[in-house]
Amino acid sequence: MAFPLPRGITPSEIAFLAEMETITIVPRQRLEGMELLSGSIEPLGPPRRASLPLWLALLLKRQRRAHIIPPSWLHPEPLSLILEVESQHQDYKNAFSPPPPLPGQASVTDHETESIARPQYTPDGERYYAAPPFLPHNISGAGTGEKEVPALPFHWIEVGNMLLDAASDDLVDPDQLRRLLKDLREVRMAKMRSGVDALDAAATGGGGVALTGVGAMELGEERGFLTGVVDNLRKIGASKEQARREQLADQRANGGYGATQEDEEEDYMEF
Amino acid sequence: MDIDDILASVDHGPGASRESAAIDHQLLTRFWAAERAVSEVLPWPAPLMERMMDRVRIQIETIEDLAASSADMDPSTKHTTHNPNLNLRLSILQTDLARTQYLLRSLLRQRLSKLSKHSMHYLVKLASRSKNPLISDSQSQSQSQSQSQPNSQLTPGDSVPDISSISEISPLSSQEATFVHAHQTMLAGHFGGSFMGAFPPQLRRLDDNAGGTSMVQGPEMKEVVFVRCLVVEVPVVVPGDEGEEDHGVLMRMGDVWVVQWEGVREAWMKGLVELL
Repeated sequence: MAFPLPRGITPSEIAFLAEMETITIVPRQRLEGMELLSGSIEPLGPPRRASLPLWLALLLKRQRRAHIIPPSWLHPEPLSLILEVESQHQDYKNAFSPPPPLPGQASVTDHETESIARPQYTPDGERYYAAPPFLPHNISGAGTGEKEVPALPFHWIEVGNMLLDAASDDLVDPDQLRRLLKDLREVRMAKMRSGVDALDAAATGGGGVALTGVGAMELGEERGFLTGVVDNLRKIGASKEQARREQLADQRANGGYGATQEDEEEDYMEF
Repeated sequence: MDIDDILASVDHGPGASRESAAIDHQLLTRFWAAERAVSEVLPWPAPLMERMMDRVRIQIETIEDLAASSADMDPSTKHTTHNPNLNLRLSILQTDLARTQYLLRSLLRQRLSKLSKHSMHYLVKLASRSKNPLISDSQSQSQSQSQSQPNSQLTPGDSVPDISSISEISPLSSQEATFVHAHQTMLAGHFGGSFMGAFPPQLRRLDDNAGGTSMVQGPEMKEVVFVRCLVVEVPVVVPGDEGEEDHGVLMRMGDVWVVQWEGVREAWMKGLVELL
């Protein structure tokens, strides 16, 4: 076998991705800047803060060469707030709390501004839109002065657990953090499970199920189950789907294009 | 990025600019996750892979130079001042290199595994494109490839399309095209030797599509994938039979959706969505 792993990245590969998140540290020794394959590393000089990939921060931390500044969301207060929203708030009974915005994305509370995607350009001249793990969702917000609504970043389980494992002495009240992370996980896992009814929508062409706000590891855990369910639903509904397509084709042939848009199935579930 | 950086990137070729190193790494990571997520082989990003391979080669040389300088370090020379950090620098560089090599290796192996699973499908796809240059890379066309030749061939190997003269080999790289042809030729030889030789000649073709059922299995395009919408809005499309498209639900920026791969394939090609 050329490749034994199943389709879709596995939990250990998700953790590998999470190690690319950028995190803030305070170095305890000097180190010259370096050109790595994953980008350049700024020179370290204590006591100046620096932003590094998580894998490098953990490597330095394990050798006692740096302190890790916990991400702004990994504190008891923001986590309790998110937990309260996830478990009590009416709007989020069946949905995950909103994720941190992408660059240029209007925040949930702000309905005035429009989202405008801000692309970077690749060396080939194509547009490139950055996304986690390459966004500063895990740096410590103390220096930026922004007063953001607390939100769980995409790799929250992995980053949280890795920091609790390797750098619990740098965190505020690690025991409570552990408890909060576990509670959050359970609340959100229950939502994931309860949403299975909506999966039929993803089995039809053009339909889908929204999982906005989901974490990478949560996706990884449910990937096999979700894809299995949807693919089986699709096979069961294949004849129905065929009939629907023929009907659409008929309508189009009769010039009724406007009507088909109305009929389009949109019974997705925000969750 | 100031003018010096721009000049530097021009001077040292595409592999040298710092900015592009970081972006290329992100592109490679995203491409790897996508390749792991879908069942078809995605188009080979040749320029990106060339830049990455160049960088890996240069980085290995850098590491070797550093390691050599630490090995023949004489305590009496003035270089000793650098020594405390040298091992740390080496281990960071090596970890970074190993992580990149892991990505590349996993990516290539995943592609090989898909290719060997659907080798006949990709060969037929390449061959059908060269016969009729008007056909773009639409899936349905290659499946319904007409059988114009008479069924006089004697071995299953004769039904393996010859792709040696084909220049346009997307989505494969040239090495992958060679591999897939060699793989299928051997497989056909084995099938012929073990059981197909006993069949009547007209039943020996590996791309038989008598009775409307194609014997060539392709990847499942309707499997669901997880995507994140990266631009203001992206509609999920329902690919029609004659190239017509219907629009389904609308994904908004930052949303994560479970949708069928063929519904977001075009948007992924344009980089508007990301596979998770």
